[in-house]
Amino acid sequence: MRILFFAHLKDVTGQAEVEMTTGELDAASLWQKLIATYPGLGRFRGSVRLAKNSEYVGPDARFTDADEVALIPPVSGG
Amino acid sequence: MEIIVQLTDQPIATSMAPPAELGNVGSWTEFRGLVRGEENGQRIRALEYEAYPAMAEGELRRLLGELSAKHPCLSARVIHRLGIVPVGEAAIYAGIASAHRAEGFALLAAFMDRLKQDVPIWKRRALPA
Repeated sequence: MRILFFAHLKDVTGQAEVEMTTGELDAASLWQKLIATYPGLGRFRGSVRLAKNSEYVGPDARFTDADEVALIPPVSGG
Repeated sequence: MEIIVQLTDQPIATSMAPPAELGNVGSWTEFRGLVRGEENGQRIRALEYEAYPAMAEGELRRLLGELSAKHPCLSARVIHRLGIVPVGEAAIYAGIASAHRAEGFALLAAFMDRLKQDVPIWKRRALPA
């Protein structure tokens, strides 16, 4: 799957996007993998929402390698 | 409701034409959100905005559609600027056409509140003066 990072999460991970092969997994498992790869993400987990294919998803969401997943930190447009 | 959404790295025009099809329009409510010269107590010369463009456009459309069910309006045009926006220039423009002013004011106010909660656009950094 393609993972996108925005705003300060780009600084935390050092990149804007990354490809990961994970098979199907749920949101909690995805977070585990992300934090294992980028430990700095851990402290932002509580404030970051997940989006799948450009739509917000909840904690029950499931993800596959075909998905584009975005980590959305608190927004500040306008 | 007709919805037009645009993300751009170009300055937003200082004058915007009302909807071409005036028909039942009795109110054309415009809002421009400008970059202030101060951010967190520091003088700045610009803000840099970034977005997740595909999702931001979708969320803008979804929000406007959702809000128009409660505040029926005739059209909405929203432009959000990305990249570096100098102090005094508009980061966002919204133009709402409605039959009467009350719906336009209400939709605009609700939209700006929701924009700041749900639309994936960020102030990336402030450039010091």
